[in-house]
Amino acid sequence: MENIKNKYAIVGVGESERSKKSGTTPLHLALDAARAAIADAGLETKEIDGFMSYSENDSCPAHQLSTYLGVRPKYVKDIMGGGSSTEMLIADAIGLIETGQVNTVLIYRSMNGRSGVRMGGGGWDVNMLQNAMDGGSFLIPYGAGSPGQWFGLFATRHMHETGLTKEHLGHVCVSFYEHAQRNPKAFFYGKPLTMEAYHDTPDLSFPFNKHDFCLESDEANAIIVTSAKRAEQLPNQPAYIMGIAARQCVSHAHYWTNVDEVASDYVAKDVYKKAGVTAKDLDVASIYDCYSWVVLRQLEAYEIAKRGEVGDFVADGHLKMGGKLPSNTAGGMLSEGYTHGMNNVIEIVRQIRHDYEGSDRQVKDCEVGLCTGWAGPDIAGAMILRN
Amino acid sequence: MSYEKPIPLKNEDNAPFWDAADRHELFLQKCHTCQQFAHPPGPACAKCGSSDLTWENLGTDIKGRVYSYVISHRPFLPGFQNDTPLVIAVIELATYPEVKMIGNILNHAIEDIHIGMEVEMTWQKINDGRSLPQWE
Ligand SMILES: [Zn+2]
Repeated sequence: MENIKNKYAIVGVGESERSKKSGTTPLHLALDAARAAIADAGLETKEIDGFMSYSENDSCPAHQLSTYLGVRPKYVKDIMGGGSSTEMLIADAIGLIETGQVNTVLIYRSMNGRSGVRMGGGGWDVNMLQNAMDGGSFLIPYGAGSPGQWFGLFATRHMHETGLTKEHLGHVCVSFYEHAQRNPKAFFYGKPLTMEAYHDTPDLSFPFNKHDFCLESDEANAIIVTSAKRAEQLPNQPAYIMGIAARQCVSHAHYWTNVDEVASDYVAKDVYKKAGVTAKDLDVASIYDCYSWVVLRQLEAYEIAKRGEVGDFVADGHLKMGGKLPSNTAGGMLSEGYTHGMNNVIEIVRQIRHDYEGSDRQVKDCEVGLCTGWAGPDIAGAMILRN
Repeated sequence: MSYEKPIPLKNEDNAPFWDAADRHELFLQKCHTCQQFAHPPGPACAKCGSSDLTWENLGTDIKGRVYSYVISHRPFLPGFQNDTPLVIAVIELATYPEVKMIGNILNHAIEDIHIGMEVEMTWQKINDGRSLPQWE
C-alpha cells in the first residue's frame, strides 16, 4: 500500500466526565464522549459511518452506541484489547476509508475502570487465567498474576543493565504529576508529588510502588478519524497523521522468556520511517505509561535518549514543560486518567492543534508529536501527528 | 492445611513437563529440527515452527542464576495471602542459559536477592502427588 502520510487526520476528540464511581453505564459514558468528539469536530452525527471500540468485555458494543446516536452505521467493530488498541484501530479506520468502506470513523474506549472491572489484578479465577494465557501454568502457580509483576521482571533486568534506579522511576512520576497540576480534570490535580514522598512510599511490587502504577478511573474517550480532504472542510484545525505503526509483536507469545526485547523496539523504526522523521523532530509526546518504567524503556526504544542515558534525560527534567520533549502533558495515566491510552492520544491531538494557546499548558512551537501504545512488552503501536 | 494456591494445569502440550516435576525431574521440550529448547512447551517449536519435538531429561540436580526478579508485597492472586513478600524470578539455567524459567525463590531474605545470584532447583510438594519446581 502506498504511504498514507498526511492523507488522514484526527478531527475530533472528546471525553465523558472522569470519576472513581460514575454511577452510570459504559453506554452513557460512551454517548457523552462521542457527542463531545462530534461537537469538537463540527460534524453532523449522521456523517459518522464507522464505529469501533476496544475493551476487556467491560464496555458497550459499537452498534449500541451508534443506535443511540441515531445513526445507521456501515461498519462496526468491537475488539478485545487494551494498550496500543487506539493506534491499531486508527490504522484500521484509515484502511477502511482508503478502500471506500466508510468515510468517517469514531473510535471509543468506555469503561468503569475503577467502580466496575478493574485491571490492576485481584479476584480472578486462577484456573481461567492459566487457560486464558498461553503458558499460564508456568506463571500463575508462582503468584505472577499482575502486569505490574510481569513488566517488573523486564524493569529489574533493564535497570540492572543500564544503571536506571528507583530515583529515575520517581522522576517520571514527579514529572507527570507536575503536568497534572495544570489540568483541573486530572485525578491528581491538586495533589503534586515530591521525590521525597515518592521515596517514602513502600513498594507494592518491587521495583514499583503505587506511584509507578497507573491509576484507575471511570470514563469514556472518543476520537474521530477522516480523510485530510474532508478535514479541510471542517471548522477546526485537524491533527494530520504523518505515520502510524498499527501493531507489532515480539517473537514469542511467552514474552517473559526474553525480557531483553520489547515490541516498541520494532514499532519505533517503523513509525519513524513511515512518517519520515526522527526523534529529533518531535516537539511533544504521549508515551504509554501504565507503569513509570514503561516510559523509560520507550524513551530508549524510540531513540529519544540513548540506552544508558535515559535516567539523566528524565532527571534533567526533559519530560517537563520547557524540557527537550514535554510528555504526557495532561498527566498521563499515572496521574490524569486511564483508558488504556486513549486519553494520552486526546492530549497529543490538543497539543498539536494548539488548543491551549495562551496558557502555560501549551507546549511552545508544537508542530510534531509522537504517541505510543504499549499492550505489554510483547505488543505495541505508535503514531506521529503534525499540525 | 490444604494447598490454596493455584496448581499447574496439565494439558496435552505441557503434561510431560508437569508429570516430570511430580517425579522431581526437569523435562524440557526440544526441537529435533533446529536443536533448540522450547520452554514453555507448546504444540510446535516457537523458534522454527517444526512439530518434530522431543523431551530431554535434565535430571534432578538443576542449577541456575537469577536473571531478573520482582518482590511482591501484595498478593495479586488468591492463595498467596501468607506468602508476602514473594520473590518471583526469571532464572537462567546454568547449563543452558538460553532457557529461562519463572519461579519463586524460597528461604532467602529479600535483601539478599540479586541478579546473578546462584540458585538450585527444589521441588515443593503441594498435594495429590503434585510438585512445583522452585528455587532456593
Ligand atoms: Zn525448532
